[in-house]
Parts: sequence; structure tokens; C-alpha cells
Amino acid sequence: MSLAKPVMRGMLAKRLRIHLPLAFLSSFGLAMAIKFMITEPRKQAYADFYKNYDSAKEFEAMREAGIFESVQPSGK
Amino acid sequence: MFRAVFRLSASGARSLARSRSCYSAPLASRCYSHGRAETEEEFDSRWVTYFSKPDLDAWELKKGMNTLIGYDLVPEAKILDSALRACRRLNDLASAIRILEAVKNKAGPHKDIYPYLIQELKPTLSELGISTPEELGIDKI
Repeated sequence: MSLAKPVMRGMLAKRLRIHLPLAFLSSFGLAMAIKFMITEPRKQAYADFYKNYDSAKEFEAMREAGIFESVQPSGK
Repeated sequence: MFRAVFRLSASGARSLARSRSCYSAPLASRCYSHGRAETEEEFDSRWVTYFSKPDLDAWELKKGMNTLIGYDLVPEAKILDSALRACRRLNDLASAIRILEAVKNKAGPHKDIYPYLIQELKPTLSELGISTPEELGIDKI
């Protein structure tokens, strides 16, 4: 019972035909997912925090807490 | 704006893969914009001729085998036959057996290729007195 001739050419090409675009698309997809699910919300959170941030008020609060060396709390 | 860039480059990558349709054509597809692609038969005969050179030297044998193994194909039995006869002319049994190991490895997950090639090469192997790695027991780690 002699063996039939198998496919001997182009096997890598056949595989790459599918997997190369797939690799590009999946890395793209993952990068986009990270951008829109992680970095954008993070940037938005920072923007929201600083939108109505009153630095003078925050400074006074820190001053009262006594964490500075250069300036004492207003009571002292 | 970034989304538009991403969409463009995604479709660019896809059309790049499509334009490489010469992958479906035989062998080491050199994508010429000019000239015709070499057929499988022309490729095979070129390599049979290469190994049939009567005064082929050891370097040319090894260089030929290395180049051949680099292609996206398992060499045809007739090419291997020519290479094994070159090994015989050079009194290089080690390379002859190594050629058999190399094509088995080259076939990778396609386990039906190597038995087929051994079947086709059986007459040559017995004529030249070449043992297969399996017969020598060196195919196991």
C-alpha cells in the first residue's frame, strides 16, 4: 500500500496568509482596547479632577495640616 | 483623528496581505513586476542540475542544501536523490544521513511527508547503501 504524495510546498505561506493579518489586527485591536478602556478614562479622570481645582484652597488646607517647613499654620 | 489613522492602517495591512497573492504560487515566491514566475518543474530541475554537477565540491553541496532548506517547501524526491548521489561522489555518508534528518525536520507538523519521501527514495538509499536515521536508531533524542 504505497503512500500518496502529500502537499510539500507553500505551507508557511498558507499559514501566514491567515495569521499575519490576524497578528496585525489583534495587536491593533489590543492597542485600541487599551487606549479606549484604560488611557482615555485615566486622562478624563485627571481632567475632571483638575477642571475645578482650587490650588490656593488646597494649599491652605495643607498649610493647616502643618506639613510645610517654610510656612506655619495660620494659628501659630 | 487618531481613529481615522487606525482605520486606514488596518485596511492598509489587509490589502498588503492580499497583494501578496504570489504566496499561493509555487515556492520561494519572488514577486516580480516583470518577467514570469518560475514553475515548480523549472525549480526542481534547476536544483537537480545543481547537485548533478560531476565536480561539485563539499562546500557547494552544503551551500546548496542550506539554501534549499531555507525555502518554503520540502524538496522533491528527485532533488534529494540528486543530492544523495552528490554525497556518494564526495564520499560523505554523514551529509547523506543529515539530509534525511533535515527534510524530516523541515516537514514540521506534517508527519506524512517524510514517510512518503523515504518510500520514494528507497531504491536510491539501497543502491547507495545509505541507512536512514531510524534504522540507525539516531532519530530518538
